[in-house]
Parts: sequence; C-alpha cells; structure tokens
Amino acid sequence: MPILEVRGVSKRYGKNQAVDDVSFFIEEGETYGLLGPNGAGKSTTIGMITGILERDSGSITVDGIEHSVTNRKSKSLIGFVPQELALYHDLSARDNLRFFARLYGLSKSEARTKTEEVLETVGLSDRAGEAVSQFSGGMARRLNIGLGLLNSPRLLILDEPTVGVDPQSRNSILESVHTLTRGGVSVLYTTHYMEEAERLCDRVGIIEAGKIRAEGTQRELVSQVGEDDTVLITLDAPGERVLDVLRALEPIDEVSSEGTQVRLLTSNARDALPLILDTLTRAGAGIRSVEVQEPDLEAVFLSLTGKGLRE
Amino acid sequence: MKPLIIGVLNLRRVFRDRTNIFFVLLLPFLMVFMMGLMYGGGQPVLAVSSPSQAGLADRLVDALEEDERIDVLHMDEGEMRDLVEGGDVQAGLVIPDDYEDRIRDGERAELELVTRSDDLAAADVGIWVRSVVTRESSLLSTAQVTGSVRDDGFDERLENASETEVSGIEVEVTTSGDATFPEGLSSHSLAAPPLLLLYTFITALTTSLGIVQARRSGVLRRMYASPTSAGSIVLGEALGRFLIALTQALLILFGSALMFGVDWGDLPATSLVVTAFCLVSSGASLLLGSLARTEGGALAAAVGISLGAGALGGTMLPLESFDETMTTIAFLTPHAWGYDAFSELIRNQATLTDVLPHIGVLLGYAAVLLTLGVWRFRGAVTA
Repeated sequence: MPILEVRGVSKRYGKNQAVDDVSFFIEEGETYGLLGPNGAGKSTTIGMITGILERDSGSITVDGIEHSVTNRKSKSLIGFVPQELALYHDLSARDNLRFFARLYGLSKSEARTKTEEVLETVGLSDRAGEAVSQFSGGMARRLNIGLGLLNSPRLLILDEPTVGVDPQSRNSILESVHTLTRGGVSVLYTTHYMEEAERLCDRVGIIEAGKIRAEGTQRELVSQVGEDDTVLITLDAPGERVLDVLRALEPIDEVSSEGTQVRLLTSNARDALPLILDTLTRAGAGIRSVEVQEPDLEAVFLSLTGKGLRE
Repeated sequence: MKPLIIGVLNLRRVFRDRTNIFFVLLLPFLMVFMMGLMYGGGQPVLAVSSPSQAGLADRLVDALEEDERIDVLHMDEGEMRDLVEGGDVQAGLVIPDDYEDRIRDGERAELELVTRSDDLAAADVGIWVRSVVTRESSLLSTAQVTGSVRDDGFDERLENASETEVSGIEVEVTTSGDATFPEGLSSHSLAAPPLLLLYTFITALTTSLGIVQARRSGVLRRMYASPTSAGSIVLGEALGRFLIALTQALLILFGSALMFGVDWGDLPATSLVVTAFCLVSSGASLLLGSLARTEGGALAAAVGISLGAGALGGTMLPLESFDETMTTIAFLTPHAWGYDAFSELIRNQATLTDVLPHIGVLLGYAAVLLTLGVWRFRGAVTA
C-alpha cells in the first residue's frame, strides 16, 4: 500500500485553477520529487497534502487513511517542512522544538526526549539554548527541517527547503534528506532545482500550470520525450570528410559543426563513444577535447512545456 | 490542553523580550509614581523670607505653620525667588524688614506673595496665606485701635485681642452626593486606575505583532499542519493575548497596592472589571493581528489606537475635566467605562452591584471584538 495516494485532486482560487486533477502516489521508503517552476501549483498541492488547505475535489489517503484538514490521525503521520523559516525567532531552538512537539501530542517528558534527539540529528545540540535570531541561515534551515521530524513521520514533506540557501548549506540539507530516506522515511520533495530532484528522488512528477505533465524515474522521463545524448568534440581541423565519416556511423543520429567543434546526437553516448573516438583516430582527426551531455530533467521540462524551469 | 500550551507560549515570549521587561514591568510603575506626583503627591511648600529678629513677623509665620498640609521653610529672598521660579516650592512670602516698625507705628505694611501662574498647587497655598494674613491683620488692627482707650502697651493689647473669643457667625459646611475626589484619597489612587487601563490595552495590542509574525513566517501554517485544530489555534492565540493583558493588569493592580498603598476597593468587583477589560483588550489584539498586513502596520495601529482610545477614555486627562460633549464621546470607548467603574470602586466604595452596568458594557465590547477577531483569525489560519 502506498504511504501517500493522491487521486484527482483539484483546487481553484476564483478564476485561477491552481491544481487541476493531480494524481500520484508515493511508496513506502520512496523519495518523490514534485518538480515545477514557481506558480506551477506545487505549494497548493503540498498545502492540500499537509492538511492546511481544503481541496475542491479528489481524494488523498495517508497510509490508507482518508486525509482531510480535520483528520488529526492522518496529520500525525506527516512531518512538514515549509518553504519559509516557520520558526519563533525570539525563542531558542530547544523551545521551538518542545513547543511543536507538544502540538504533535507528545507529553512533556516525551517532548523533552524527542527534542534532544532531533537537535542531535540536525547537529544543533551545542546551540540549542540560543535564540534562533542568532542562527546563521543554514542553521535556521536545519532547525526548520528538524521541526518536521518531531513526530517521527511516516511521510516527510519538504516544500522547497533550499530556497535562498547558500551552496554549502544546500549541500548539507540534501545530505540530511538523503540520510533520512536511508532511514526508511518516505519523502515528498518539491523544488524548482532539477539537480536536486535528480540527486534525491527515486521518481519525479513534473507539474506545470496545475497539472502533472509527466511522471516516472529520470531515465523514464528522458525516454518519454525521446531526448538524445549530445557529444561535443573539438578537433584540430574538422573537414567535410571527417563529418561524412561520422555521419556514416550507425549509432549517430545527427552531425553538425561550428568552427572547430563537432556536435553529435546519439541515443546512448556512453556506448557510442569508443566507436566515435576510434573512427576519428583512424581518420587522422586531431582530437583536442570530448564532452558528453546526457539529457536531464531540465531538458525534459523544456520539451514538455516549451519553457525552462526557472522562467 | 493545546490552547493552553499556545497561550502560555505567547505569554513566555512577551517576557523573554528584555525590552518588554521595561515597558511591561517598570514603566507602568514609574508612570503611576509620576502621575501621582502630578496629581499632588507631595506636600506644598511655602518659602518665607522674613527679618531675623523675633516679633510680629515670627508671630505671622507661626500662624502660617498652623496648617499641617503646608510645609513652611525659611530662607533669604533671593533663594526663595529661585526656588519658586524653578518650581521647587509652590509659593514664597516676603515679609519686609520694616514690617514690625510700620505696624507698631500704625502704618500699612506690605507683604509680597510670589507664585508661578501655571502652578495649581500655588493657588491652594495662596488661599491659605491670604486667610492667615487677613486674620492677623484683624488682630493687629484691634490692638492698634484699642490703644486710644487702654493704657497698656501694644504687645499686651495684641495678646488680649488674640485671646478674646468673639462670638461670630457660625458657618456649618455640609456636602451632598459623592465628592469627585474625596478628602484623604491618595494621589496614586487617582493615577493608578487610568494607567492600568492604558497599559493593559497598549500591551495587549502591541502583541498583535506576534500574530502578524506568526502568519507571515508560516508558523501558523506549521501549527495547522500538525494534528491541532484551527479552533485550538485560535483559542490558544486569544488565550495568549488575554493572559498577557491580565498579567499586565495584575502587575499594576497589586504593584500599586503594595508600593503606593492604592486601595482598589471591593475585590470581587475589581476582579470582574479587570477581567472584562482584559477580554476587551485581547479581542482587540486578536482582531488587529488578523487584519494588519505587516508588523510595522500592526505596531503603528496598536500605538495609535491605544493612545487615541486611551486619551479619549480619560486615561491621560481625568474624565472629570471633560465637558459634557466630550464626556458623551468618551463613553464610546471601553476605557471610559473602566475608568468610571474604578472611580466608583476606589473613590466611593462601590460594590459589585454598583459596577455591574460597567462590567456588562465591557463584556459587550469584548463579545463584539472577540467574535470579529476569532472570525478573522480563523480565516487567516485556514486560508
């Protein structure tokens, strides 16, 4: 049974159809990425899954329990890390954690124990008594994630947790999420950074204009849109003869050149590369450099929607 | 249980902020003390500059010292004028060097009373000085006039006149109704109630910033994503505002009683007036916190509304000094109802029955503000 099942969920704000018949599921222990640009409907979808927003139609089940804004049982299975730093900045990390632990129904002593455990997990034990306002951005982000772990959730929802974060802190956050998933927590991760989705997610749903446009593993998505790998080779002097030799190779779909650079399209660059290099050597072409570009989710997104993720 | 957890957290947050320790704990008492002084907390002082030799001048000063409500100090004329000008003493009296000689010669002696025109306490001192001087003049005139029919000296005639009891007109003074400011009421008892109302309201309203911050930072969404109902969150935040208002009110109430001896009157009635006013304050805070878009906007509105309603409701100038129209307008504010209830309890020993109408009106305000606040705030949580 999936830990989360979203079926035909829609949400409208006035004339704006924010989410339109969205369906997907997350298996136990799986990390699912919801990838889309700003305004695609990610946060609205997350709002309905966390039980903050009422949905207009469709159904959501969490571990088989019908989920709604009033269902405390299903809410208690979810850990939520919002995009913003939803913290009391005048309180200490410890006080923040204890307060939210009580809201998740933990007793005073349970809250104390869990708080210390989470502080250890997010590496803030030595700064636990300091006001959050004294924290660096990265530390506050880690605490923001820690608050989502207080109820030992079956499903952890992270809504763009790396927005506005420096590269070092981003790396640390991604590592933390990776550690959690290795511990068996199911994760729903929304982002508009395709490299994060590629790095973390077992499966990805691409959402745009409130609709899921495509879904699957990265490789499945790439193959769905039929994108080729690109091989860029810089030669000493690429003549027409060399280009003809390359065009004659069976795995090569397309050959073009600009200056000293030759651009080849192939369905699988890793398999074709030895043949390409051998052919060029035999043809006497001096090779200066070789670069392989595999199609990524950005390319998939571009292909599906006609625009970039960050446009 | 969860509303209590949320409410107590709000209260703790107020006292974690060191700035609030000054504004909530210290400033109200400082203001009660200062306002007490302004309402006449100290004894008025009359500085007297008189000739050094004993005699008729000393006799006049002794007469002035008879009123225990006025302190009489002796100093030279220059120092006296400086102190009056600086407001350190309320009035000065100059008795000229030739005072004794002129009187004994049967001539007119002139005294000079020095006051500042804007010093209200000086008027009281002036009245006392004039009454004493008038009485002394009568005795001196009698001693002077009887010289033509008696052979003894001026001092003997003056002593004789002073000891003579003359049956005059007996004036019986009675009062009807309740005095606005009863005799014996301490000045701090006048200052503390309006300041309790002013500070309770402004403290509660400024905590509306916390609601705006919680809304804008996503803390409310995070709370609602936990297994906590919208009702519990709304109730918790409202309870938090009430606890903050109540803490502020009780601090001033008990603090002023202990530090300045303010007698707040009938305890059950006072408790209910305080509770009702705290409910009004928490409702206003919840509503403002739900309506304001930014922390800056909330703070500006909180200060503006608190000072505006406070001034209109008699917490800065006594309601008794308002004209009829302004008094009618004042009673559109909850502050005026609170002020009037405390006035009845403190000045006129009113009972719970006497202030039930006030409590009823305050609860009416609270019901309206809390209903609107809860409605708007719930919308902010679930939006």
